[in-house]
Amino acid sequence: MKIERIEMSLSELHEKLPHTLGKNSENRLGLLTSIDGGQLATLLLNPKDGTAGLLVSPLENNSYRSFTPQLAQFHWFERALFDFFGIVADGHPRFKHLLLHDQYEGDFFPLRKIALPANFQNVLPRRYEFFEVKGEGVYELPVGPIHAGVIEPGHFRFSCFGETIVNLEIRLGWVHRGVEKRLTEVPWQKAHFVAEAAASDTACANAFAHAIAIESILEVKVSERAQYLRTIALEIERLAMHVIDVGGIGTDIGLLGISSAMGRLRGKALALADLISGSRFLRGFIFPGGVRPVSERKLSEIKAGVIGLRKDLAPVIQILSENQMATERMKDIGRLSRSLAQEFGMVGILARACGIEYDSRQCFEQGKFPELAPPITTELGGDILARTRVRIGEIATTLDTIEKLLDGCPHGEDKITLPASLPANATGLGIVEATRGELIHLIFTDEAGKICRYSIKDPSFENWTAISIAIRENLIADFPLCNKSMALSYSGNDL
Amino acid sequence: MLKLISYLLNQGIATNRNICPDLAEGVRGLPKLTDIPCSTGCTACVDVCPTDAISVFKIEETGHIKLDLGLCIGCGYCVDACPTGTIANNPSTRVAVSRREDLVLTTASAPPGNIAQDATSVMVSAPDSLEKAKWFSRSVAARVVATGCSACDMELGAAGNPIFDMERFGVQIVASPRFADALIVTGPISKGMQAALSSCYGAMASPRIVIALGTCAISGGVHRGGYADANGIEELLPVNVYIPGCPPHPWSIIHGLLLAMGKEHLAPRSVARFSTVRIEK
Repeated sequence: MKIERIEMSLSELHEKLPHTLGKNSENRLGLLTSIDGGQLATLLLNPKDGTAGLLVSPLENNSYRSFTPQLAQFHWFERALFDFFGIVADGHPRFKHLLLHDQYEGDFFPLRKIALPANFQNVLPRRYEFFEVKGEGVYELPVGPIHAGVIEPGHFRFSCFGETIVNLEIRLGWVHRGVEKRLTEVPWQKAHFVAEAAASDTACANAFAHAIAIESILEVKVSERAQYLRTIALEIERLAMHVIDVGGIGTDIGLLGISSAMGRLRGKALALADLISGSRFLRGFIFPGGVRPVSERKLSEIKAGVIGLRKDLAPVIQILSENQMATERMKDIGRLSRSLAQEFGMVGILARACGIEYDSRQCFEQGKFPELAPPITTELGGDILARTRVRIGEIATTLDTIEKLLDGCPHGEDKITLPASLPANATGLGIVEATRGELIHLIFTDEAGKICRYSIKDPSFENWTAISIAIRENLIADFPLCNKSMALSYSGNDL
Repeated sequence: MLKLISYLLNQGIATNRNICPDLAEGVRGLPKLTDIPCSTGCTACVDVCPTDAISVFKIEETGHIKLDLGLCIGCGYCVDACPTGTIANNPSTRVAVSRREDLVLTTASAPPGNIAQDATSVMVSAPDSLEKAKWFSRSVAARVVATGCSACDMELGAAGNPIFDMERFGVQIVASPRFADALIVTGPISKGMQAALSSCYGAMASPRIVIALGTCAISGGVHRGGYADANGIEELLPVNVYIPGCPPHPWSIIHGLLLAMGKEHLAPRSVARFSTVRIEK
């Protein structure tokens, strides 16, 4: 999508942001990063009119006054900015490493391209100090990085008083693979494979955002058929993930019948993915310029599959919703307030579950959205029950949307031919509502038309803080269920 | 609760009795090599491959291909690009092997030395013999260390669902390395997870089986060679079974587990094999 690039000095930025991003403003922070280490690049989104602006502010002395004390949503962005560029946020209340661990050299800043200033003093030791809660009877419980089940790695440091959680600090970065750097190293025609590997449970959304960003740099538009097929694929991915996430709630409550039924039905949703793309994870389906060809016969099989799945899901969801034990287990646990969710810029299901009406499918161009976007599903509770209800609501709207898209899918070309090279000094932006929320891919090219900076903001990046907030004052035994109800991505966050 | 039980009873048995069947038509598996000669001088497959898994070479004016499934992410671009049909889609889900070199396929019966040597296989030490693995042929407790993008983990989770039901073969996922027989590793094991993985392996009692699940775990996949050292398991731990795929199909995962348990007779490799590259150790 189109993006307006504005050069702005740091002092102007400091003046502007508190107004633009303050309480009750229309705008939200897309991401904060740098291009080569010499500037701040702030992406501002206006969901109301579907526009985006990039503020580029040159840095002096490799540092800036931290935005976090005024605008909480900056807190992880500023820490990541130091990890990757060595840019210092003066006055950040908890300034420490985010994703790079002790194995890396002290002054190793992988995405920085310009030299460090001669007088650079590294303000942060690699050693990570956890926030410590002191007092009689308070103890720490470390969990991870390897978890008990089959899930991605992360470290949770609980400070507890009895069975009550006083504080939870989450340390991630265990699966940092250097995806953003790799995306600047491979030829851009092959970059979509790497973009998909950012988080493969949302491979389709990542490929989609990548394609939108590249196409916006090239200023081309793909065929109407490709737009429809891309949107169908995105919704199939959402369907499969929502089904397994609702099943996961069943697992953590102890309703194993629900989880095994949902596991089986996810298989049916993945069969739809197999039909449209030949891959259960929709890998390689969306690429800049179009999609892989799909026959009409397959589309009608998908239609039949969607109708069947709707019928199959109904009794399972009904049994879960009517189960008093399940409802009591979820109600009032892991509550996130609307004001804190807003302050931290949270997105996706957990934001919609506390009444924030933001779904980027309604705002930013992505395939056939916002034209055919389903209505936003919201709940007010902010607890596990509300999040589960939003998921269940979205399963229904997603099924509707897939059917509507299948009915409208026109004949035509699957892909268009793209130019051999990207234009110089261009900026491209792709925003997609992935299963977990707003996903952003932001691409910069250099004078030679080569991708020089590729920035990904996974929805989980903002949302991880939500778990720490929601689990406070709850029992430690409720953590697994609360964690499952958020169902965040480790790999998308760590990149 | 009675409603749930009656619903489940009404659903009947979902489990597939046919073990490791071929993929449905139109579904992408890993590529395979056929005996159709390669057109000399064509590099279409090499040009489209995102992970440099393919190389072409000539022996006496005949074109040949070397394909490393340990690097392949199964995108299928080479299958689409191949003008002769030398590279084709392999619908089989029985793709797990116990030697790294068995993942390297070639159309040449006697490949020249440089081709034979460049396959990467640097074993830190010999793995516990799979003969010992037969001790676990009725039951294996597996510990999973996930270090990747979560696709392999989700497929491993799917392998435990009622359709595939790996528990019927005696496979159980356990919550501690202390009572695990097998270590299943997914993902490219970048710097952040290397220490955790090695301490997990160290906490397991011998004999222990190591299973590399997915292309990233085998070679690093698309992440190979980056600053995060995400190059797969080979220089870190000795491996017993390799399950290629990005991610491997749940049936392929079950195939790999059967292989590790010495029960591959339940799902023997059915594909006509091409001569593999032997690596001098």
